[in-house]
Amino acid sequence: MLSLQHISKYYQVGGNKNFVINDISLDIDEGEFVSIMGPSGSGKSTLLNIIGMLDEPTDGFHYFVDQAVHQLKEKQRSALYKQYIGFVFQAYHLIDELTVYENIETPLIYQDVKGSERKAMVADMLDRFQIVGKKDLFPAQLSGGQQQLVGIARALIAKPKLLLADEPTGNLNSKQGEEIMELFRKLNKEDGVTIIQVTHSEKNAEYGTRIINLLDGRVESSRTL
Amino acid sequence: MIRNYLKTAWRNLLQNKTTSLISMVGLAVGICCFLLLTTYLINELRYDRFNVNADRISRLTFSYKSADDNEAKTAAITPTAPVPVFKKVFSDIEDGVRIVNYSNMRAAVVQFGDKVFKEKKMLAADESFFKIFTFKFIQGNAASSLSNSSSIVITASTAKKYFGDDNPMGKILKVDQKNNMMVTGVIEDVPEYSQIKFDLMASYAMMPRSLTRAWDSSNDYSYILLKPGADRVAVAKQMTNYITKDRPQSGNKMWFSLEPLTKVHLYTTATYGLEPSGNIKYVYILGFVAVILLILACVNFLNLVTARSAERAKEIGVRKVMGAMRGQLFSQFIIEAGIITLFSIAIGVALLAGLFPSFSTFTGQALGFQTWNLSWLLMALVALFMLVTLLAGTYPSLYLSAFKPIVTLKGSASSQAGGVMLRKSLVVFQFVVSVFFIISTIIAGNQLHYIQSLNTGINREQVLVLDIGGMPYTKIESFKTEISQQTGVLGSTASYDSPVNVGGGYSINTAEGKNSDYNLFVTAIPVEKSFTKTLGIKLVAGSDLDIGDEQQVQDTASAKRRYSFILNETAVAAMGWKPEQAIGKKIGLNGRMGTIKAVAKDFNFASLHEKITPIVMFPEYDWFGKLLIKTSGKNTANTVAAIQAKWHKFYPNAPFEYHFLDQEFDAMYKTDQRTGGILTAFTVVTIFISCLGLFGLAVFSTRQRIKEIGIRKVLGAGVVSIVGLISFDFIKLVLIAILISSPIAWYAMNSWLQDFAFRIDIQWWVFVIAGGTAALIAFLTVSYQSIKAALSNPVKSLRSE
Repeated sequence: MLSLQHISKYYQVGGNKNFVINDISLDIDEGEFVSIMGPSGSGKSTLLNIIGMLDEPTDGFHYFVDQAVHQLKEKQRSALYKQYIGFVFQAYHLIDELTVYENIETPLIYQDVKGSERKAMVADMLDRFQIVGKKDLFPAQLSGGQQQLVGIARALIAKPKLLLADEPTGNLNSKQGEEIMELFRKLNKEDGVTIIQVTHSEKNAEYGTRIINLLDGRVESSRTL
Repeated sequence: MIRNYLKTAWRNLLQNKTTSLISMVGLAVGICCFLLLTTYLINELRYDRFNVNADRISRLTFSYKSADDNEAKTAAITPTAPVPVFKKVFSDIEDGVRIVNYSNMRAAVVQFGDKVFKEKKMLAADESFFKIFTFKFIQGNAASSLSNSSSIVITASTAKKYFGDDNPMGKILKVDQKNNMMVTGVIEDVPEYSQIKFDLMASYAMMPRSLTRAWDSSNDYSYILLKPGADRVAVAKQMTNYITKDRPQSGNKMWFSLEPLTKVHLYTTATYGLEPSGNIKYVYILGFVAVILLILACVNFLNLVTARSAERAKEIGVRKVMGAMRGQLFSQFIIEAGIITLFSIAIGVALLAGLFPSFSTFTGQALGFQTWNLSWLLMALVALFMLVTLLAGTYPSLYLSAFKPIVTLKGSASSQAGGVMLRKSLVVFQFVVSVFFIISTIIAGNQLHYIQSLNTGINREQVLVLDIGGMPYTKIESFKTEISQQTGVLGSTASYDSPVNVGGGYSINTAEGKNSDYNLFVTAIPVEKSFTKTLGIKLVAGSDLDIGDEQQVQDTASAKRRYSFILNETAVAAMGWKPEQAIGKKIGLNGRMGTIKAVAKDFNFASLHEKITPIVMFPEYDWFGKLLIKTSGKNTANTVAAIQAKWHKFYPNAPFEYHFLDQEFDAMYKTDQRTGGILTAFTVVTIFISCLGLFGLAVFSTRQRIKEIGIRKVLGAGVVSIVGLISFDFIKLVLIAILISSPIAWYAMNSWLQDFAFRIDIQWWVFVIAGGTAALIAFLTVSYQSIKAALSNPVKSLRSE
């Protein structure tokens, strides 16, 4: 599904190159559930952002569904990204001014989905996550677990092939975290969504099919479960 | 999609009530002022254009310059001959009309039954008047209404005044107790934006002068209607040729000009016009002010929106991650700006409606929504809406929509909050404007105060001015004797004209020891012998007029009179004499022969805009226009009441019309006072708007520096030092603004002052006070934010998520 070849990202500090990602090559197939682990500053989030096209590598080749991302223009990249990728954040990042319903609906608006169709899709999603009763509430009125649920629903609404999650359980207690992880596993198994998550927790990493360990911007180890 | 944008915009507005309100109020005030000034300008620019023939009508002016004059003088008044003669001679002239200001020449006391009024706006004109100018007739016929020498046309309100609800047509108005004038037409009230304003328009033929065709003695306003396609300048040249051909002249030059009707109000330099003219300079200045205010308000809005960018950053990031394209975000923010603009325009228009009445009183013009053509107004509002939305919304929208999601989502929005330089420049710009207005207001105020307190050489305090236009001197004399008994009356004197604004143009054309072609144009005024004494005009040489001088001119036939003249210092100097040398010299003033009896110290007999020019005062008792009564100033009301009682005893049918000389003096500076008033108003508005902008910047900046402030507090900084730290950042901007603004204001106000022959010097402390005021206001605006920041708990600001 995606392939990174000799990807590096560094900043020029004085005369030295300060590497965040240092020559990483990585292939991920459709249907995988990959957990990226590593200590703070090892480049996990940066790697995830590069995969999600929110960030650009300094060097290297990046292919996504057979397209050379590193050669695409901003607009094309945006279109590609809009079509295939959903994002989940540690801090949920819901829009405070919008209700649960509207938050979930927003990506569809940006993809020019028709009103009636949007309605059906959002209703479907609310139903599936069992948050129909909360659809008119604002994010501030929800608990952290519920907010993350909305965040995931929003990430999935446009039916992405790839779900990227940056410490999705980082702000949650263990019970809420487990529920989210169960949900991820189900999405991966039943709906065939490819998932890449960044996590600190060994336990959460176990939910995946492959664990990649980073250290100082390099892949230290990779094991398939 | 639009619905979603509207919804977000609306919720955003509600959620940030303070900032939304600040930006809306700022914008509304700016829009309101802009529309107010635009209304005023529209009114100025539409002056006289209601006349269907406006393009073809010109006013005839007459200019003259003698060899002894430095500058040509141009007057709007002309003799009786030009219109009828030129109309016959030149084929390019379709028609012409002479107008005289009847109220100025006669008492203009109009009577119908027991209703007697002194009419201030009564004119008389040739019968072609209503054919040339466009006034709407309610009753009567435009073409024929003035065809009879006893015809008079009145306005609707005048008709109401005399006849109530009765039909005014055919009724007889008695004018000055001798002319019976029949109402032959009723027109709608003359609009304020007409240079010819009147309540009554009598037939020119009622005046004896209508029988003469004289080329001297200018008292008429002449308007010429040219044939379509005729060349105005060429016709004027032909006119000049016509008179100079017949009358060979020595060093003197004279010429006619034709001013297009629509240029008279704003561009004319001719004196003695029907009404004080406007000034195109003020139109430009106010237009400029209007645009500046609008820009200020937009800038302010822009500043506040970008200042809030840190708060919006996260939302923008999230939207981008969810697939929003930059264009989609841009439209979202433009729509938000549009909503605020829409509300602001609504508030601004409401404010405008509330301000129109007082603004109309202030400008003396009936201004309101009716000044606009309704569809124009709507179009202007739509255009304004789009303009302001684009002006105020584009930059923030571009700026906000360019945020990189990856950065904003990390919560470090401030690191990419660029455009600080731009925002600071905008605040500097706002304060440049504010400081400019503060300086201008102070200087204008000083100048106006200076005018009022300047010793003009005439003691005009407590001098009551009575209109006695045309009363026989014997009657005036006995009235004077009667009131001289009255306590509170210190003295009285009659004169041709008001001493603070003397009109008459004469020339000294013979003088002892000068060539036979000597000619010096002077202002001159027939006075009673007690003139200088009553008004406190000082004599520097010679002695005052006495009873002998009075008898000399009273009892002798005019051709044989020997006059005693009083000249001012400037006149004597212009003739090349020292005051003492001048005494006893023989001179002739337009045929009046006599000797110089006294030299008066220079005094201001015209507006302080002008230098003191030569003036001659001479006793001539044939016609007096004003009676000046010097009162003690104690119990003025009683004194006036007593004078009024005696007046009614003397002249049962004449209304008692009076004013004080210093009021008349002040009225001469109405335009200047209006300018001062407008400056003050806009100073307040610009300061207000600029402070809103500064406040916005302060909110933004303190939020950005919250971490720095936290660290400083942990390291032991006190509240005072932190407030100082933040405030200084802004005071710096204001100081820069003062530096930029001062020279501009100095230049502008200096050129404004050039219009006054008597003016103040601009003092350095004006700039200090203006700068200090601006800095203080800025400090107070910022201090709320800086104190709040200084008092905040560092633990909170330093905790990272």
